[in-house]
Formats: sequence, structure tokens, C-alpha cells
Amino acid sequence: MKNKSNSILGMAFFGPALVLMTIFLFIPMILTLIYSFTDYFALNPKLTHFVWFENFSAIFKDDLFTTAFGNTVKFVLIIVPLQTLGALGLALLINRVTVCKRYFKVAFFIPVVMSLAVVSNLWMQIYSPEGILNTMLSNFGVEPQPFIYGASQALPSIAFMSVWQGVGYQMIIFLGGLQAINPALYEAAEMDHASSWSRFKDITLPELKPLCVFVFITVTIGAFRMIVQPMVMTGGGPSHSTYTIVYDIYETGTVNWEIGLASAMAIVFTVFVVILTIIQTVLTKDKEDRHEKKKAKDI
Amino acid sequence: MKRLSLFMAALSLVAGTLMLTGCAKKVKPGDVRGYDNGEQYISMWVHTIEDTPEGSAYKKSVESFNEKYNGKYFADIEFIPRNDSGGGYSDKINASVMSGDLPDVITVDGPNVSAYAANGIIQPLAALTDEEKSSYLESIIEQGTIDGKLYALGAMESSVGLYCNKAILKEAGIDIPDKDHPWTFSEFADILKKLKPIMDAKNGYPLDMTFPVGESSIYYYAPFIWSNGGDLISSDGLRVDGYFNSEENAEVFKYFRQLVENKYMSATPVEKLFESGRAAFKFDGAWEVNTVYQSYGDIDLGVAPYIVSDKWDGGKYTPTGSWAYAATSKTEHIEAATELVKWMSGVESGILLYENTKSLPSTYDAYDSITIFEEDANYKALYEQLRDYGHPRPKTPVYPQVSISFQQVLEDVGLSGRDVKDEMDKSVERINAKLKRYTR
Repeated sequence: MKNKSNSILGMAFFGPALVLMTIFLFIPMILTLIYSFTDYFALNPKLTHFVWFENFSAIFKDDLFTTAFGNTVKFVLIIVPLQTLGALGLALLINRVTVCKRYFKVAFFIPVVMSLAVVSNLWMQIYSPEGILNTMLSNFGVEPQPFIYGASQALPSIAFMSVWQGVGYQMIIFLGGLQAINPALYEAAEMDHASSWSRFKDITLPELKPLCVFVFITVTIGAFRMIVQPMVMTGGGPSHSTYTIVYDIYETGTVNWEIGLASAMAIVFTVFVVILTIIQTVLTKDKEDRHEKKKAKDI
Repeated sequence: MKRLSLFMAALSLVAGTLMLTGCAKKVKPGDVRGYDNGEQYISMWVHTIEDTPEGSAYKKSVESFNEKYNGKYFADIEFIPRNDSGGGYSDKINASVMSGDLPDVITVDGPNVSAYAANGIIQPLAALTDEEKSSYLESIIEQGTIDGKLYALGAMESSVGLYCNKAILKEAGIDIPDKDHPWTFSEFADILKKLKPIMDAKNGYPLDMTFPVGESSIYYYAPFIWSNGGDLISSDGLRVDGYFNSEENAEVFKYFRQLVENKYMSATPVEKLFESGRAAFKFDGAWEVNTVYQSYGDIDLGVAPYIVSDKWDGGKYTPTGSWAYAATSKTEHIEAATELVKWMSGVESGILLYENTKSLPSTYDAYDSITIFEEDANYKALYEQLRDYGHPRPKTPVYPQVSISFQQVLEDVGLSGRDVKDEMDKSVERINAKLKRYTR
């Protein structure tokens, strides 16, 4: 009896969230899947018919989608290591600081709270040909750099800015992890006269490992979803050098009104990210298992 | 137990759906303040929020419409916010096309009239008398006419000026020609060459010019194509091969490349180059006049006629186009909707909008009654250029792709120096892919 009323109570709490998720998440997801097999055109939904895999073959033939895909991968390759290591580094530093600890925490976290559009506009000023960065460089005798206005520098410039903007969030996560490590471990290490490097390598890193996996996966997915920064700062240019997949999906769906094609792009993108996440999870899990087995053997 | 949970889930789902969707509303007399018995109700959406100068001008225009047609029509205006790239408002229109909830009258950006007409979102207006038609600038009628039928009337018109710093031109001994004898491409290149050392000394460039992403590029620079005898798409808006990638267009793109190569313009945008007196020329919207007057008083501003190709035959070529009103295909009261469209695009509404936002009106009478278009040489030049040489942007249902492609070729050829033929052909392929929907 108690179980039954518990279940009803549970559903009462869970129900509203389920309703909202169904309307705003599950139904759109299913619709996207259905639309991806059609030529649904936003301005003329009446003419929609099933084209099955035509959209998908069109996507893989489209060199713009390929470019966007390549750019997105480049963003991920720059952002993921920089942001993960940066966050870990900052967390380690702040953990050591004894004065003004709260100030540093807030200072590094503020960009996370700011809207991406605001941050992008701010960095457009910083990167502008006569902006603060070029002025500083000119003091060192460096020629003015185009940054976001040059096809070769735009992508790294935006990636760097994104790392700056996002790193505070992962820093806080790592900081939480660091503070949760049992101090007795370090005390024991000190007794054994362990160097600070081996303390980091043998205590801090293994203890933070579950967090590292989490941060790694979330940063990767976040980087794949890159759209606001290029949209605000470069419009995907110059010469498509900062055009990303999500940007392509947006333009196809809302500017060119081709919902069918955009849905197919979204499906391809989702499948890719899911596969990548599974690979990441499997790889990290494997290591853990091996670790466990090794431990068992040692005993 | 499982069944009960499922039941609960289903129940809450239904309740939530009802709560969120509500019921489609039918407005009855008395529901809205001012809507009385016997009046024909006309709903209208506009692309801005109420609290902007633009929004408040629309609101006042609707109020005066309701006053004038009291007892006959009642117009109900709804303000829908939109972002810079037009999202928000167009998303709402798209969603309503599907759900069938379109109002009677909507605003449409000029270049989109064709796509909306081709897809049956808007319908032709009720017939206008010749007198009514002739009160609008030719470019307004041209913009709203698709296949010989008038679909939309502009709330406002727009233009782009070739602004010049008269003090710098004087220093270089250059005179501004009159509107019927604009500088040709080669004359303009000579002028830029002459200005180059002068502007170098001022740490600037002869031209303050960029190829921005978005609508501005085609809006500002397609006139170069038209005056060179080229076009971006066939007149029926359905063929692009042989138009977009024509030899004439290649010449224009190469001309832009030369501007960059000779460093007549900066390859990377420099903020306020013209406004700070470090550029002799700038292409910008008509609003720039007001900006300079208000904030950069020490610039001696002039408007030169838009430059033309050496091959120019005197035809229309200068930038035009802006938001317009149209009746949706959903409305069953096309007469009433047309009256509202006429009123909102008419003389009084145009003057009101000019007063609030400084945007150019769409009717001759409005220009005649705003003294600044006679008294101020710069405003006068913009008006005359618009009146005598205004050319609408390409009329095609795939306009967004044409606009994006034009900007891309400009950037790839002008800035990056890629091969013009390759880039134009790539664009043709891309536009053709979008055209398939209309040609099969």
C-alpha cells in the first residue's frame, strides 16, 4: 500500500517535468527524425512528401556541410584540450592560493555567467584591427594581426575566446573535486617524502579521474555545438572558415526555410556526437576495468 | 502499478498540452477595445516591438486608421520582436503558415515578397486605381509586383549613399558630379589612386568599405552588377546559370578585388574610419546622414551619385527596398486588408515613420511635405537617386541563397583573391539546388 502511494506521489512530482520534456524535447526529436525523410519546406508545408534518403545523400555531397564539419572538428580539437587542462590548472592554482581565494574564484567564473553574445561583442572589440590586443602587440613591434577578420586566424581566435569564456565552469567542478580529496592521502605522501609531482600524479589525478571524464565529455559536446560566437563575431566567415555544423543547420532551417534538409543534418550530427560519446565512455570505462582487474591481481 | 503510472503520465500529458496550446481564438466585437459591432476585424502583425520609435509609429498609424474607418473596419496590431537577422518574426510566420493561424495582414521584407508569393503565403492586393498606384515611388510598386500582380506596398523605402568627405575631396581637387553623370568605375579608380597618398598621410584609406556577412553586401554592391549590364538571376527568378556567373559579373568581382589589392580599402574592417575623417568615401544606408549630423558634426558630408560601370546605359541601378505590407492568403476580406495596407504605406504613415525613425517614405507626397528633402542637399541627393535610378533587389523565391552566395563570392574573390569563375560556378550550383523546388 505504501509502495502504491509512493508511486503516485512520485509520478505527481515527476509528471510535470515529463509533460514539459515530452512537449519540448521528445516530440520535437521524433518530429525531427520524421522530417529528415521529407522535403518539408517551411513556407509551403502542404507540398511536403517523403523523399526518404535524398536529404542524407544531398548532405554528404554538399561541400559546405563538409567544410562546416571540418571546422567544427577543428574547434573541438583546440577547445577540448585547452579548456580541460586550463580548468585543471586554474583549479590547482586557486586551491593553493590562500589570499583572496574567493576573488579569484569569482573572477574566473564571471565570463561563464555573462551571455555569450555579450562576451562575443566584447572580444570583437579586443580583436578589432585597432583594438586593445593589436595595440599591445604593436608595442612589441608586432604587425597588426587580422584575428577574426583573417581566414587563417579566425577559427583559433574564436576558439581561444570560447575557452576563456567556458573555463571557469569546469574550474569550479575541479575545485570541488580537489577539496573532496581526503587530506590524509597527502599527509601520508608527505611522510614518504613524495615529490610534489608524484603527489599530483599518484594522488590528485587518480582521485579526479571520474571528474575528468565528465568534464572531457561535456566540453566535447559543448564545443561541437558551437554557433553563437561565429554567428555574432564573423557570420561564419571569412570564406566559411568559422562556419560550424550547428550554424549550417540553423541557416538551412531558418534562413533557407528547408526544414527537411536541416532535420537530416541534425540527425547526422546527433548520430556522430552519440557515437563519439559512446567511444569516449567505452575507452575510459575500459581503463577503469583494467585498473580494477589489476588491483584484484595484486591482492 | 505500472498501469496506474502510465495512466498518470498520460493524464498529465493531456492536461499539459491543453494548458500550453490553449484554444484557437476567435475575436468578437467588444473583446478588443475599439472593436465595435458592425466593423470588419483585420488582424495585423508587424516585425518590431511596440516600445521602439518604429513600433510607436505603426501603432499611431493603426490608431488613425481605426479612427478614419470607425464603424467600417477595425485593425488590430500585434508586435512581434525580431532579431538582427530577421529571426523571431519570420519563425513566427513560418510556424503560423503550418498551423494556419496567419493574420490578415503581415509585414514582409522587400526581398522576401517573391518567396512569400510563390509559396502562397500572401495574395495579390485588391486592385488599386492608377492614381493610387502613381502616388508610390516606382521602386515600391516594382518591389511589390510579382508576375504582373501587386502583392505588397512598402511601409518605407531605403537607399544607400556614396558618402564623401568634402574637405578631403577639396584638398585633392576633386569635384562631385551631378546625379546624371556619376563617376564610372575607371574614373573612380583614378580618384582613389589620387587620394591614396593623401589618405596614407592621414593613417587612413580612400574608401571605408567592407563586405559584411548578411544582407548588406548584396544591398550595397549589386548596383555595380546592374550598371555593368549584368544580373544575378533571370527575370522570372528561376534561372541562374548564365546570369550569376556571367562575364559582366566577373568583371565587377574583379573590380572589387582591385580595390583590396591596391589597398584603396582596408581588408579588415576599421571602426568609424569615415566618421573619424580617415576615409574619403563610404557606402552606407541613408541613416548615415543623420548619424553624421548628430554625432560627427565636424565631417563635411556630401553625397556623390552611386558610381556606375563604364558601360552604363543610363538605366536604373541604385539600391532600394525595405519592409512592406501584404495581405495573407488566409484573409477572406481582401478589400479591407488592402485598405489597411494602403493606409499603413500611405503618405501620413510615411511622414510619421520618417519623423520617428528617419527612414525614407514610400510616397511622392510624403517627400514633398517633408522640407528636409528639398532643403538639405544630402537628403535631396538620396531622394533623387532613389526616385530616378532605384532598382529592386533580385526577385526570386530563392532570394536568401542568392544573397548569401553574392556575399560569399565577394568575400572569396575580393578579400581572399580566389578564382572568380570557380566561385561563381559554385554559387550557381548551390542556388540551382534551392531552385529545384520551383522548377520541377
